[in-house]
Amino acid sequence: MLTAVVTRGLAVEVRFVTVEEEGEEHGSEKMSYEESKDFCEFPYETEEEYEAEASAAHPCLEGPSPLAVEVKELAWGAGAFVVLALLMRFWLFPAVKKGMDARYALIRDGHEAADTARGAARAEVAEYESALATVKAEANERVDAARQTLESERAARLAEVNAAIAAKREAAAAEAAASRQAAEADVASAATEVAARTIELATGKAPDAAAVRSAVEASMNAGVSS
Amino acid sequence: MVLALEFPPINEILRWRDLFPTFNKVALIAVAASLISIVIFLLAARKDGLKAPQGVRNLAETIVEFIEEQIIMPTMGRHGMGWTPFLLSLFLFIYLCNLPGIIPILYMPATARIAIPMFLALLVWVIFIGVGFKHQGPAYIKNSLFPPGVPGPLYILVAPIEFISTFLVRPFSLTVRLFANLLAGHILLVTFSLLTEELVQGDSLVLKPVGILPFFMLMFITAFEVLVGFLQAYIFTILAAVYIGGAAHPEH
Repeated sequence: MLTAVVTRGLAVEVRFVTVEEEGEEHGSEKMSYEESKDFCEFPYETEEEYEAEASAAHPCLEGPSPLAVEVKELAWGAGAFVVLALLMRFWLFPAVKKGMDARYALIRDGHEAADTARGAARAEVAEYESALATVKAEANERVDAARQTLESERAARLAEVNAAIAAKREAAAAEAAASRQAAEADVASAATEVAARTIELATGKAPDAAAVRSAVEASMNAGVSS
Repeated sequence: MVLALEFPPINEILRWRDLFPTFNKVALIAVAASLISIVIFLLAARKDGLKAPQGVRNLAETIVEFIEEQIIMPTMGRHGMGWTPFLLSLFLFIYLCNLPGIIPILYMPATARIAIPMFLALLVWVIFIGVGFKHQGPAYIKNSLFPPGVPGPLYILVAPIEFISTFLVRPFSLTVRLFANLLAGHILLVTFSLLTEELVQGDSLVLKPVGILPFFMLMFITAFEVLVGFLQAYIFTILAAVYIGGAAHPEH
């Protein structure tokens, strides 16, 4: 039946062997003095001492528990840490931190400058908006004034034009009335002449011109009125 | 038939030969963690801090801001900023000691051995007690053991509990939490690595394809260990900040 054992050399190895082989393995497991000396802490100072006193098992197997404090590890570990802590406390950390603080201060100053600039810009914007509002109000006033002026001028011009038109209309109406009267007089005169001639031809004697004219005018007036 | 896989003893998977006398891999990782932190901040400090941070400077500033904003401000408030260098060192050192657990060739978190977590926990313990005495004087002990608002007779129970939890359990829990998490992760990685290797390289044609399963677990646990390494460094650091902040300003 197979079981498993560990063999040990300069490095840890494992392999599976039979139960029968296991005894042989353990029997031949003892390493040479040189191999053992290189492998771990070694309690034997001479090869003779090792051969005489070391058991078949590797001497390293009998080493201290991992819970046992190794003085050399404690000393080197403590020394390394103390050196690091002291250098960090008095030199390395302050040097790095100084740069960090300087940069943070620079950034903080930059932020403050940016805040100041932002405040100034906002004030300028407010001032500009105020000026813009004033200018707009002034412009509106001027536009309103111009509009009123234009309106009054337009009204005045309109009144003038209307008056001129009315005058021209009256003149035209008067002229038309005069022309009409003249035309009516001409028509009445012509009609009187035609009526007087017609009567003269019919009666053989000339009628009274005033009576004929009066009759014609009465007839024309009656026609207009009707 | 395969019945079992004998796992190497924990001592063995955590033991590395000395690189030279008194200096092993854990010591190497600890020194490297310290040096890497120093180099990062050294390079960052040499760059112009007034310009927008880039590269290593950005990394350093991100870590500093993480410590200040995510650890100090919630636990100690603005007056805790003086502790930034210490907590920064603590976080970086622990994180960089955790990280080699998933880095090929290294594959060993220095915090999976108890020495470094224990030293750091004891350091934090000494510091928060010292801070307590500095800010409150001898009344620190009284304030710690006899919290206000508790009915008098209950102090018989509360005082010993407070003593144990504040002065004994804190360093122990800090140590064990970090050490045990990293050790467990390391053991899991070794387990699935060995299992994958044995199944894939074994003679059995039936077992070879099965090796993909522990391989996927290995990938998953490796990714998980990235999170664990960061999380444990963060937890250790934030607890240190809580302890120090609590000792300096008990009303918080």
